[in-house]
Amino acid sequence: MRKGIVAGLAYAGAALTLLIAACVPFVLIGTFTNLVAHAGLHVDTAYTGGSVARTIERKGYEIVIYQPVRPRALQRIETFQQIVFKPAAALPVQVSEEIDLDGDGKPDVKVIFAVPADPRTPLRGDVVALSGKYQSLKNASGESFSRLMVRVNDEVVVRVPLNEVPGTR
Amino acid sequence: MLGLATGPVCLASCGPVVLPWMLVQPPGVRAHGAQLSLFLAARLAGYLVFAAAAWSLGAAIPQSWAGRSWIFGGVELLLAVALVVYAAGWPRPRCADRKSPSKLVKIGQASPTRRSGAVTLGFLTGVNLCPPFLVAGVRAAQLESLPAALAFFVLFFAGTAVWFVPFLSLGFVRRTPAVLTVARMLAVLLACWYGFSGASILIARAHYG
Amino acid sequence: MASRSFTVAAPPAFRSVGRSLLLTLPMALWSLLMFTPTFQHGGRNLRIAAALVIVFMTGLFYLMMRSGETYRWRRIFFVAVGFLFPVGFIAALIAERGTMSIPIERMVAGQTPYCFMVTPTILLPAAFTRTVVFPGSILPTASNPHSIAVMIGVWFAMTLVLGKAWCSYACFFGGIEEGFAAAPKRPKAWRLVRRLGPTLRLAPWAILIFVVAASAAIFEPVYCMWLCPFKAVTEYPAVHSAQTAIQMVIFISLFVGLVIVLPFLTKKRTQCAFFCPFGAFQSLFNKVNLFEIRFDRNKCVDCTLCQTACPTVALSAESIREGKTLLNCMKCGACVDSCKKNAAVWHLKGTEVAVKPERARLLFLYGAWAMATMFGGSILAGSMAAMLHWLPGM
Repeated sequence: MRKGIVAGLAYAGAALTLLIAACVPFVLIGTFTNLVAHAGLHVDTAYTGGSVARTIERKGYEIVIYQPVRPRALQRIETFQQIVFKPAAALPVQVSEEIDLDGDGKPDVKVIFAVPADPRTPLRGDVVALSGKYQSLKNASGESFSRLMVRVNDEVVVRVPLNEVPGTR
Repeated sequence: MLGLATGPVCLASCGPVVLPWMLVQPPGVRAHGAQLSLFLAARLAGYLVFAAAAWSLGAAIPQSWAGRSWIFGGVELLLAVALVVYAAGWPRPRCADRKSPSKLVKIGQASPTRRSGAVTLGFLTGVNLCPPFLVAGVRAAQLESLPAALAFFVLFFAGTAVWFVPFLSLGFVRRTPAVLTVARMLAVLLACWYGFSGASILIARAHYG
Repeated sequence: MASRSFTVAAPPAFRSVGRSLLLTLPMALWSLLMFTPTFQHGGRNLRIAAALVIVFMTGLFYLMMRSGETYRWRRIFFVAVGFLFPVGFIAALIAERGTMSIPIERMVAGQTPYCFMVTPTILLPAAFTRTVVFPGSILPTASNPHSIAVMIGVWFAMTLVLGKAWCSYACFFGGIEEGFAAAPKRPKAWRLVRRLGPTLRLAPWAILIFVVAASAAIFEPVYCMWLCPFKAVTEYPAVHSAQTAIQMVIFISLFVGLVIVLPFLTKKRTQCAFFCPFGAFQSLFNKVNLFEIRFDRNKCVDCTLCQTACPTVALSAESIREGKTLLNCMKCGACVDSCKKNAAVWHLKGTEVAVKPERARLLFLYGAWAMATMFGGSILAGSMAAMLHWLPGM
């Protein structure tokens, strides 16, 4: 009798599995996708650049300054701060901006680059450190996640490494 | 507090060494406790050696001291070698155990190899110059006396050692031939990891200065 | 001593044409249902490809019903997916950006398509810090429909049905090895497998623990960045430094060695059996999945044909004595089809072993083939549509 009950449960489980299979494309994929999407997950800031600190308005475009991103645990990135110029289509042909990154009222870096007419042409430029807190970049492009100057969609993303030893602030 | 706060980084840096090592120890929380204690004691010895050096050199070790790369890379290479040596020297499952009804492997009592392994791995992780370690070193270097610096590092060690206590739970894992084999393979993989990391640091240091 | 045969024996017809067609009907309807949106909204090439895939999948299922065999027909589908997926994927990459390498701009923009093989490595950082250590996007976008949430949703939903059978019915990489393993008539290095196989089949577990721990330590998808052999046939970080060059060498070496050369020499899926950490992770789901393969000890004569046939070394003398497979069994059916004594059987947990095994097989196959049609079938259709596009006049 017990064997019969267990076998019955097994067949019920198999039927449930088939029901689940039938539901996968119509219900389950969407359900699990929403669950993951609403689980409060976020992509690591080493990839995304962190959260916005403030925005500087310019004529036709804006400069978005992000919070510094610091390495977690043994993450192999330098501490960096992201600057985004957008929209790229509205940028002047030659950009040369002194930017205050840490909000102390004094310019910290000077970002210099030429915007290629063809969006697919790789971008290259310089970042000149005006304070000891930041590092300069010469002829930067996409070296690493902590030091780059690239065009991403309709934005120019610059990441300036800080002169900060990991584990200290 | 510094030790507690930076414990996860210590765990990330040195914990991988402990994992395969503990898996080939005799099962049981008591046996694990003995080996973990030996490992942590050797780690503390490494901490104290560094504390004495940091205090003696004082301000000569700034936070961005370039020479730390040589030590960091060298220690990682030594860790890689130690993992391979002790992985090769760990007890292999005996043929008799395969045929016996029990699937568990009988691991003998603590042997000189096992003790020296705990000491070597513990000491090397104790002198591994990861960033929080350097921060602690700089703070110790600024203290008035050597005993104060050593006491600071003892407390720092206590904070980081707390994060290793969960490894005692590995004592509940059954020691089958499969577990031992996986532990040995894991040790080799970690040796490759530390070896590659150490070699990269040394080559980068030598090439770029 | 039993003669050692390395090819799967073909038994006579197992089931009548009529009954086979009847049993195939639900799968034919399912296939039509899966591709209805394609017929409604897809372009001409995609509709042609979809029709071909429906015939292909339905035909293979019919042959499974008619012959009573599983492995041989499943393998045809699986190898097709394994070889056509890279074709479609690479074609799309070349059309879009002219190269297989993924530039850092794409990673910064969160446009890296998420692959299910990353899943074990992101779990610990996600659990402790809610951070996904992968340069993709959580939600789908126009430029990245294969977002993290979507791909995890697909993987998890299918795993509820398949368990470890994912590796036989869904993984679009396993078919490449299975194709190379099927090529030779006899393995050249079967003694190597017999000697080292029982030890090496534990390596995926060590690699799994290693990549999970390392990824949590350095907040990087270690498997993706350093150990994935299939970067050689999908996309890889652009080579611009010593590190990326070393990564590329590792990817190509692993692919050539584990996916082409060793399967050809051993007739085993060596990457799956001896390396893949995702496979080890997926094995855990065998503990909860209801379907398995068991051995009737009353019929088994220990001829070891099943061990020889098993592509992933998921059988040992000890496990067969206990009437079971090992945890890494991917339910491909090779052992069942090779057993001359009908000792190896499909089994539904909770029922008696070898009592109505065909019922267990059918229940398993309906679920597995449904998933295969939905997932692998769509991959086949997409790749075939891309290939049709290259034909003149199409």
